[in-house]
Order: sequence, then C-alpha cells, then structure tokens
Amino acid sequence: MPREEVSEEDLRALGVDVARDFPGSTAADFRRYPVLSEGGWFIAVKHQKTLESVAREPGPLLGPITLASDGLDVY
Amino acid sequence: MTVSLKDLDDAQFTERYGADRFTATVLSSRMRYIVQHMCTGLLNNAFSLILRDWYDFAATISGPPEQNYPMSSVSNSLAMFLGTMSEAVRNTISEYGPENLRPGDVVICNDPYRAGNHVNDICFIRPVFAGDRLISFVTLRAHQLDMGGVVPAGFSGTKRNVYENGLVIAPTLLYRDDQPIKSAFNLIFDNARYCALLLPDIKTIYANLRLGEQLILESVERYGVEAYLGAIRYSTDVSAEAMRTALAELPDGVYEAEEGIDCDGIDDTIDYRIKVKITKSGPRMELDFSGTSPQARTSINAGILDTKTAVGVALKFLIDPATPFTSGAYRDIDIVLPAGTFISATPPDGAVFLYWESTGPVLLAVFRALEKALGRKAVGGDYGSLNIHNANGVLDDGTPWVTTAQCGGEHGPWGATEAGDADSYSVVYQANNLDPATEAIESELPAVVLRKEYKPDSGGAGTNRGGAAVLKDTLYLTAAEHWSSPLHTKSPSGLGVYGGKSGGLGATWVFHPEDRDVVRRRELLPTTDEVYAGATPVAGMLNPGTKCVDPDGEYFYFASTPVWHTKPHAVFRYLTNGGGGWGNPLERDPERVKKDVRDEYVTVEGAYRDYGVVITGDPVNDPEGLRVDEAATRQRRAELAGR
Repeated sequence: MPREEVSEEDLRALGVDVARDFPGSTAADFRRYPVLSEGGWFIAVKHQKTLESVAREPGPLLGPITLASDGLDVY
Repeated sequence: MTVSLKDLDDAQFTERYGADRFTATVLSSRMRYIVQHMCTGLLNNAFSLILRDWYDFAATISGPPEQNYPMSSVSNSLAMFLGTMSEAVRNTISEYGPENLRPGDVVICNDPYRAGNHVNDICFIRPVFAGDRLISFVTLRAHQLDMGGVVPAGFSGTKRNVYENGLVIAPTLLYRDDQPIKSAFNLIFDNARYCALLLPDIKTIYANLRLGEQLILESVERYGVEAYLGAIRYSTDVSAEAMRTALAELPDGVYEAEEGIDCDGIDDTIDYRIKVKITKSGPRMELDFSGTSPQARTSINAGILDTKTAVGVALKFLIDPATPFTSGAYRDIDIVLPAGTFISATPPDGAVFLYWESTGPVLLAVFRALEKALGRKAVGGDYGSLNIHNANGVLDDGTPWVTTAQCGGEHGPWGATEAGDADSYSVVYQANNLDPATEAIESELPAVVLRKEYKPDSGGAGTNRGGAAVLKDTLYLTAAEHWSSPLHTKSPSGLGVYGGKSGGLGATWVFHPEDRDVVRRRELLPTTDEVYAGATPVAGMLNPGTKCVDPDGEYFYFASTPVWHTKPHAVFRYLTNGGGGWGNPLERDPERVKKDVRDEYVTVEGAYRDYGVVITGDPVNDPEGLRVDEAATRQRRAELAGR
C-alpha cells in the first residue's frame, strides 16, 4: 500500500510542532495512508515510529472498494 | 494521557456516560443478555440445518448514527460474523439512509463487499426507536441455506465471479410497519433454492429482532435513553481499554510472517500467500498486508471486512481473551490492506464465498508473526481448513436433498497453549459452532456417517500436545454431486509454538463402490495404509503410488474434478490437519505420554520417536497395563536432546 510523504507545511497545518511533539523526528517520519479501524475507514497521517496519528479523517465508506453500481445515477 | 475507566471518580463517570457506574455495567450486561436471548430464540425455532444444527448466526447491538454505529454487544456465537457486523450496520444504514427508517422496519443486506462474509449470510437489521428518536440497531446475521448461483447451497471454491456466486442484495427494506414487503421476499425466493425452508427461517429471525427491540425498549423505559446510549459507549470503551492494556504488554517491534492456502478453483498453479508486517509501538499496533497475493480467480476469496475480523479474533485469542469483543477492540489497531488481494477481493471478478479459508491463514499469520514476542503465551495453530463438503441429489421418489457442511472435515483440532493440551474436536479458531448430530444427518439425508475418530500421532508433539486430526467417513446411499473444499493441505496449519512441533497434514479421498463397496462387504473402511491404494484422491499431499499422506509426495488438487459425481454407495473420507504443539516435547511428563498412548492419541512408536518416551505393553488389549521404561526413556531423551 503506498504511503504518501507529508511535508512540514502539512504537519503545521495539522497543528503539529514536530520538534515539540515528536522530539528527534522530522517530517520524513510521517506518512499519509488509508487505514481500517474502529469506526471504519480513515485517511490517517501517522508518525511511523510511534504509530501515533496526528490526523484521522473519515475515508470512503467502503474504503478502496468500487461497486459495479458505483457511478450509476438512477434518479 | 488517557484516564483508565477505573480511575474515573463517580462524577466523571456519570458525566461521561450519562449514568452511574453500576447502571452502565448493568446495561452493558443486559445488552449481552439480549443478543444471547435473540440467538437462543433463533436456535430453538430455526428450520434449516445450517441454523438449527450449526449455529450459523450471530446477533449484535449497535449504537445510532450520531455515535458512528458502535457495536456494543455481540452474541457468544460465530466469531467470523462478529468483526464484520459493525461495518455491516454502518454501511447498510448509511446507504439506505437513516432518515428513511421508521419503527417496524427491517433492512437487509448480504453483499460481501458492503457487509462482509458471503451472500448466504444475510444481515437483518432492525432500527430501535425510543419515541421518535433512533437510538439503536439490533442485527441478526444468519446463513440462508441457499442464495442462488450455480452451486446448490453455495459452498464451493469453483465459482468464477459474483454472477455465478449468488444473489447480491444491496440495502433493501424487508419489513415496513412490521409487515413483510412481498417484492423483497420474492427477490430472494425467485433466486434461491429451498424457499420453503427459508421462509420460516426468516420469519423466526424477524421474531427475534422484535424480541431484541422489545428488551432494549424495556431497558430504556427503566433506565432512560441517556443511560442506554452511555452504556453503549461504555461497553466499547471497556473493550478498547482492555485491548490497549494488552497491546502495551507486548514488546515493541516489527514482526513479519507469511501464510497461505493451496490454490483456487481454476488450477493449482498459484499458491495464494498472505504477507503481514505487524508494527507494535506502545499501546498501538498496525498490521500491513501489502504484498499479499492478488485476488483469486474463483470464490475462495475473502472480503476486507473478513480480514478485519480475523485480525480481531487473532488478537483476542492471543492477548485479550477475557473481555467482550465489541467494535472498541479495534480502537488502537490499524489495518493497512490494499484492495484486490485474495483477502480483500473486489467485484465483479473477485467472488467471495469460502472466505474463512482465506482469512484463517490471516489469523495463523498473526499467530506466527507474534510467536516469539509472546513467548510462553504463544498459541499453536488449528486444523486450518473447514474442509467443507457440499453434496446434493434426489431420493427415489424424486425429492431433492442437500447436505451442507455436515459430512466433510468441518470439525477438527486446535493448537496447544501454555494452559494444556488442545481440544481435538472443535471448529476452526474463527468459528464457534455446533457439530451436527449424526442422528440428525442420518434421519434427513441418504447418508451414513460411518466413522468419526482421531488419528494417532497427528497432533503436534509438545510439552502440551496439539489436538489430534479427525478422520471421518461418510457413505452416500444415492447418486450425488459433491463439492469438496480442503484448501490447506500443502503445509501444516497446526503451527507448533514455544518449541512445540507442528501437526500432521490432512487429505481427502473418495472410495467409489466399484473399488470398494462397503455396503456389499458389510464392513467399515479400514484405516490402515493399504486401503488408500484403491482410493481416488480428492486433495492432499500424497504418495502417488500408495495414495497415503506424504509431505514430500505429490499434490492432488481438490478441483481437478470441479464436481465429483458418484454412484450409490460411494464413501468420502476426510482427514483434517493436526493441531500444533506447545513447548519442548522432551519436557512432557512421561506419564502424560503414557496416557496419550492408552487413549490412542499417540502410538508406542510415536511416543518413542516424538517424545523420547519408551512405553511397554499393549495399548489395545491391555491399556491399563502400559508402563513407562524410565531408564530407557532417560537414555532416549538424552539422545534426542543431543541431536
């Protein structure tokens, strides 16, 4: 599963002060990727060493699944 | 900093959960009582064999949309259903629209990609309203005997896509104002076989949803809505905290493992492999399945939600077995799983049916990966495949019959643990089912269960012994079509742990009447090696000459004949894999080995070979006269220890 790199600007926008919150780490220690957990799918930004999430936005209801009926507008 | 539930003072607790600690605990317990009561009602009144004899259903309670549908309570039943149910309710109701619900509704969904499991496992979801307020959902997921598709009753690894697999039902209203919606029923009944059995089953399911609703509303009337909703949050928080505590006790690190199944239903050229990389840091865990084989070409696949279940069941087994399995158990666990693998199949080509065959190895991969981290707490592997047998035919008067998961190798051994020897006759770790009674099978089918027994020396040797493999013979009295699905025969699934040995390999054979007619001979099939030469191999690693199990032999492919057609008096023999042992077998008390020889779990030769215990006497004719030769045992164990 690809894990997107995260910039320092991204982290600042999320309210993360890397030096304060994750001493010894840099932005290179964070990645953004979809995870399945309690509550369903999330797009998480996680510190890879501690697994701590600095952001968890709800993802698509079925995650990466595309149904055959997706995109068909019956109305 | 997370505050432990036990450290909350009374005021904090009441503020958080809308009730005092005692009330929240009572309501949590009552929710577990409610789902269990729903299951008891279904079990006592179900008509079809898969419900009545197998307990192939589960009940849950979920919270309302504003809580994001937390699953606060699960029944003591089929675990394979439980991990999928929280998403099943969320996905079904979100798509249907909670604003479209009203009291007296039942919504159904059976889509593996939306709701998990397979198409026969319909989710029946009933909203619970307190006045005008939607406060909860009661759900029964129950296997329907047939859901259409090209294989009667569905159990087959040879179906190639969702169209062959069976009827897929998107979120659909089945009852409104407590009245059945005929068009929805007919959608099922015009596509499924055995509708005369399905109808009373569904009415029984509906009645037990109403029971669950009634019991919830009685609770709400007594304790109030806010206390009830608070208890839903409390129940899931208890599970989350228990799992978090258990995770924190595991050593930090990165743990990797592989597991897999033999092949799919097209051919045997592809081994399907699961790769898991588990990263553990403090109270958090991430399981990344990247690198797992692409989805299979037939219906041996599992869906994403089934893999989530397997992860949850594995971790409950290994580190947090004592607390209820709610959706909160996943709070500090993240699963990374790309779509399109054989444990995350996608429509329309990634047909999902034998999903437990693919997610069983997920569980075993977690067991393997964490074995070293767990040390003494490691758990041995089980028999790995349900080895489901599905057959159908007609009686002389033209009446059709079907057998589903009654006459294969569905029950078998577990692995040993620190606590002791393993059970030898259960269902795979992800299931929690009954064993259909022989009398029930023989009273309803033209089949005779000739033999259910343990195979000596098949359980993994260890300080605590793995469960013994089960050998089962079934005689079919009419001509029949058979689908056989043993999917884990190439390598042992009964993983040995903490120095224990792995269990033996299983296999399947059919004995055609022209080769050996047990009815005409009026004898059981022997279990000696000579008998297999006349058998037709169905699956397993076998010596091509003797047809006996041989780990270094040739693989015989279960779908080399996709449908096994037999004449009257054919016998299918299933041998399961053996369970894994725990601990060094040379440290097993010789008296325990002697008892195993007496009970025919281990032979005299096996005791010498695997345990270094020298036993004298005749286990068949004088079992109480067996003795341990202590001097010879010390010498033999010293030899083995020196190797």
